[in-house]
Amino acid sequence: MSDIVLKEVSKSFGVVSVLDKVSMQIKSGEFIVFLGPSGCGKSTLLRMIAGLEEVTDGEIYLGGERVDQLPPNERGVAMVFQNYALYPHMTVRDNMSFGLQNVGTPKDEIVRRVEDAARMLEITQLLDRRPAQLSGGQRQRVAIGRAIVRDPKAFLLDEPLSNLDAGLRVRTRLELAQLHNRIRATMIFVTHDQTEAMTLATRIVVMNNRRIEQIGTPMEVYSRPATRFVASFVGSPAMNFIPVAALDDVGGKASVTFAGQSPVETGVPAAGLPTGNLTLGIRAESARITQGEGAIKGVADVVERLGERTLVYTRLPDSTILVAEDAGISQIQPGDAVNITIDGNAAILFDESGKAYHAAA
Amino acid sequence: MSTVESRAATLDSGATTRRSRANKAFDIGGLILTLITVIFAVLWAFPIYWALITTLKPEQQAIAKTVEFLPRTWTVEAYWHVLVNTMIGRWYINSLVTSLAVTVITLVTSALTAYALSQLRFPGRTVLWYLILASFMVPLTALIVNHFILMAQFSLINTWMGVVLPQLIHPVVIIVYKNFFDSVPKEYREAAKMDSAGEFQIFRRIYLPMNWGVTTALAIVTFIGAWNAFLWPFLAVSRPEMMNVAVGITSVNDAFGVQYARELAGAILAALLVAVLYLIFQRRVTQAIMLSAGVKG
Repeated sequence: MSDIVLKEVSKSFGVVSVLDKVSMQIKSGEFIVFLGPSGCGKSTLLRMIAGLEEVTDGEIYLGGERVDQLPPNERGVAMVFQNYALYPHMTVRDNMSFGLQNVGTPKDEIVRRVEDAARMLEITQLLDRRPAQLSGGQRQRVAIGRAIVRDPKAFLLDEPLSNLDAGLRVRTRLELAQLHNRIRATMIFVTHDQTEAMTLATRIVVMNNRRIEQIGTPMEVYSRPATRFVASFVGSPAMNFIPVAALDDVGGKASVTFAGQSPVETGVPAAGLPTGNLTLGIRAESARITQGEGAIKGVADVVERLGERTLVYTRLPDSTILVAEDAGISQIQPGDAVNITIDGNAAILFDESGKAYHAAA
Repeated sequence: MSTVESRAATLDSGATTRRSRANKAFDIGGLILTLITVIFAVLWAFPIYWALITTLKPEQQAIAKTVEFLPRTWTVEAYWHVLVNTMIGRWYINSLVTSLAVTVITLVTSALTAYALSQLRFPGRTVLWYLILASFMVPLTALIVNHFILMAQFSLINTWMGVVLPQLIHPVVIIVYKNFFDSVPKEYREAAKMDSAGEFQIFRRIYLPMNWGVTTALAIVTFIGAWNAFLWPFLAVSRPEMMNVAVGITSVNDAFGVQYARELAGAILAALLVAVLYLIFQRRVTQAIMLSAGVKG
């Protein structure tokens, strides 16, 4: 059992609060990703679980045991640092053995564990090299190897892919997913890269401005964001946000009018919607270019051809820009008049505070 | 040759002339600089050269009023005299032991102090740091009487310990070490903590090995400083068999007064070890001097 439970964990440096009453439960074997913009407190939260930052308020439990007052080495977690922090004067073997030597593990046991981990990560031939003689990707593996040999209850990874070039990042991401499948250990991974979060996570914890915005599976976070922040942070291109001009109740569903267009029927129940200003949120793939007469009319402003699909930045009569999607092979040129149909069931309404209202699941 | 080609050739030769003119101007500047450097080098090296040839002259020639750039008669009598009739062997041992002790103890204590100041949080840390910085401003000579009284009270006059103890005050070594420890990224320390390393292990197995370069550099300058130390060893020791080389060679004279060839032979023998050390570790010494100069500046 290596569940991790955070209870109203807060952190402040002097008078500056960086985390405010964060609570969550992480089940054993989960791959959790803390996702958020710089300065949202995600790294601080990870470091608090590791024991590298003191907890100002709240409790942290690891495998049922309260650990927030314990030093890092007694928590049974291992950390992979963003810059790997491999000891530059030691060989890879010594880097991986160091932690085990410090706790008095027998020599033959150390050798066995280091060699097992090296074989698993395919770094056996690098064991006698020093970090300076390794490539970025190799260093990254060694850093993970150093964590694995300790057989921790949880792996804490602080933006471990951010120092790799694009190609290597994709490959390492895949390997990390495979590694997690193989060892089934609890992993907490911090990143600001939504692709990493979407591809790796069992559940994503989206953080913003000292708080958790949403905890959910990648698809939940993507298609049913809890707040406008989550909707805007996850997904590329960013979700369209269009102010709603008028709201009608059509058979219990909200029907919205915006930008002087004919009304669009959404799947969001009309009952329970607040009375203030609403914003319609719609992803590009749910606003499709159509050949026939569509609900929304506009003029193509910019056309981005991405190969498998085409993004059409459409200017509506009131100058609002709506990003719509078309097939990969699209005939549309900038300046063309376009018709767009909106998938009402994928539409989301946001109130003034940013809270999201979805179609019934 | 076609017109175009010849034109190109003309243009090209024009460019070459311009370039060589620029080169010439540059060369003259360079030449003057080189000349000045050579003159200074000769001025600097001349006393050493003069000392060396004087030791190879018989005493009457050494004090002759004519300037002789090479000895008329070559002799090693001066060296023979110093080696046979003085205690230079004993002085060498004294110098070696005290200089090594000063170096090792200074480095160990300074590195530990610097680590504590740089990495640990304890009450009074800032005050201690300012005290060390302040002590840096007190010249050692200002304390020499106190040191003498203190060592006399401990009955350490004429002992190795008495020579070594007051020479262990080297705030600059602490300052240089602290600057280096401060610049080690904190992730290494955190990684070591996750790896269950205690403070002493972090110091010994991470911080010290990561800064071997500065340790060797500081070791060499501290050793050379202790080897060349004169004032304190001169005061702390009166018995000839406890003198170090620097103090000992001043006693190389006899009933006939100063014997230049012998005095200089002693001086050359005293400087020999340091000179050899310097030649081997030249780059490290320069580095160390720049490190401590950076602190002083």
